[in-house]
Amino acid sequence: MTLLSLQGICKTFRQGEIEVEALKNIDLDVDEGEFAALVGPSGSGKTTLLNIIGGLDAPTSGTAHLNGIDITRLKESQLSDFRLFQLGFIFQAYNLVPVLSALENVELIMILQGRPAKERRARAQHYLELVGLGREMNRRPSALSGGQQQRVAVARALACEPRLVLADEPTANLDSENASALLDIMHKLSREQKTTFIFSTHDPRVMERAERLIKLRDGRIESDAVVEQADRAVPA
Amino acid sequence: MPVNPSVFVFIAWRNIWRYPVRSLLTVFALAGGLVMVILYSVLVEGISRQMVDYATEMSTGHLQLHRRAFVDEQDLYATLPWSYLDAIETRLPDISAAPRLYAAGLASAQASSTGVLMKAVDAVREPMVTSVLSQVRSGTVDLGPASPSEEGLERHNVVVGTQLAKNLKLQVGSELILVTQAADGSIGNGLFRIAAILNPVDTAFDRTGVLMSIEAFQAMMYLQTGFHELAIKTRDTADLEISQAALDATVRRLTAEQPLDALGGAALVRNWREINPTISDMLELSRSMVIVMGFIIVGLASFGMLNTMLMAVHERTHEFGILLAIGMKSRWLMLMVLIESFFLALISALAGAVIGVWSGRYIQRHGIDFSGTMPDGYDWAGMSFEPVMRGHLEPAHVISACLIMTLVAMLSSLFPCWRTVRLKPAEVMR
Repeated sequence: MTLLSLQGICKTFRQGEIEVEALKNIDLDVDEGEFAALVGPSGSGKTTLLNIIGGLDAPTSGTAHLNGIDITRLKESQLSDFRLFQLGFIFQAYNLVPVLSALENVELIMILQGRPAKERRARAQHYLELVGLGREMNRRPSALSGGQQQRVAVARALACEPRLVLADEPTANLDSENASALLDIMHKLSREQKTTFIFSTHDPRVMERAERLIKLRDGRIESDAVVEQADRAVPA
Repeated sequence: MPVNPSVFVFIAWRNIWRYPVRSLLTVFALAGGLVMVILYSVLVEGISRQMVDYATEMSTGHLQLHRRAFVDEQDLYATLPWSYLDAIETRLPDISAAPRLYAAGLASAQASSTGVLMKAVDAVREPMVTSVLSQVRSGTVDLGPASPSEEGLERHNVVVGTQLAKNLKLQVGSELILVTQAADGSIGNGLFRIAAILNPVDTAFDRTGVLMSIEAFQAMMYLQTGFHELAIKTRDTADLEISQAALDATVRRLTAEQPLDALGGAALVRNWREINPTISDMLELSRSMVIVMGFIIVGLASFGMLNTMLMAVHERTHEFGILLAIGMKSRWLMLMVLIESFFLALISALAGAVIGVWSGRYIQRHGIDFSGTMPDGYDWAGMSFEPVMRGHLEPAHVISACLIMTLVAMLSSLFPCWRTVRLKPAEVMR
């Protein structure tokens, strides 16, 4: 069943006197439960596309339907609610709130959603244990390693059970061991919860784990392929 | 489901202590400004109260009764009959009244002479209305007959101010000759003994005033018909207008029962504010100045708050972008920044109020002593003050100062808040 449907998405930026076409007529459908990676070199439009899917940026033209809702038509406050209740975000630079503990960071979105205190505390603890941070849940981000912080970010994104998780270069700042562990966790949670993941990455380690590779180049989809377990390969 | 705003309070509180040195510097700036405002108000209120006390306690009293011609022209003959004094004291038992008589004259001592204002008071009634007779610098206040002069001439005691004593080189026990035009047109004169020298009370009296008994005045001036002025002290100053109305009604009835001659004009009841409009205006001006100064000082201090919050917002732009991205609404973000500002203002208000009240109470208790440089006190708004400037801590002023500081500090954080509202998550995360 199609969760996300992009049709004719174009995005043009103005850089001084020059107009830059970041995305050119993107058509893309993503089904529920997919573990898809947007790959391509820097400047290919990965982050711009993720921002449009996440309602953080508006396309110049085209429509983006998530779960039947055209997010390009939503107003600012509706977009906030859309992001709060439908999406989970994982960023390259962890981006935890530094004055909150790991547990409070994971709880934050659920607090904003207005969930009851007992429920959100239990869910936050559960997800922190799932990502292997049961003992570090009361530490603040400054007392956690980069890998641990990113695992908190994953727990934060998943604890509120979003329909879609958008991850922008989630492993870019991690060493191989931490990147691999994080991908294992995300893959496992994706399988168990049937959560749809869309990554933007040019990290071969992420591409190896992706079940679908959507390759962007110069703002266009160059290739879009479902990768079978047997013939997974790193695209050039 | 609604969001519990306590989460923003919680995050805001944690954010304040993210950079404790910067937050504490902001608190010091705001609290310092508040302390200055409180101390300024303490001094102004102290001086204002001193002015009121001097105006009412030292000379004027709360209310005064005159004839119109005396007020307008200092007409010597514009007196009120002595029967009025008895009637007022009988009909208004809650007030204290002291009659006075005035005349201009020439005072001569051994070395020099000068123009003076002779003021006759009732030594028994006057202390019940003003404390002028207790402001003794040297000698003993005695307005009765003095011992005869070396030549065997009859003398009366008088009391003079410090400056007049200095100008005429008078000391306690010195002789003073007063010459004036009496009410019957003759030259009135008398020999007097300085019984006491008073502290500076009001500038005019200090330089030219000579206090004497009513009997001595009447003997010299041949003016027995009545008194020029009735100074009145009411029991409750808060009901000044009510007391004034009651006295006015009583005087109206009296004038109906015992009509006054036409030449002196009607009897006139005025309160101390009407008699001393300059002081009254100065009081209003001083109190307005406290508010103006408060806004200026706190306004300057709040630039610290503006700087802190701008820095806080600028440094956390990326973080705010993330919070917006994960679904926080702009208004929640603005609320969080406002709460941070409020916490800073609140801590500053508490610290400033504690230090300001402590310092203010010290100044109220001990005053600021200028006696080393100004042993005779200082003149301000036509009044002479002791060399110790006393403050008065008014709790309402402290509360107002705290509210002004909080308000100005919150206003100064509106600009940083406005910047958070305008943040676009995709742009700030780029």
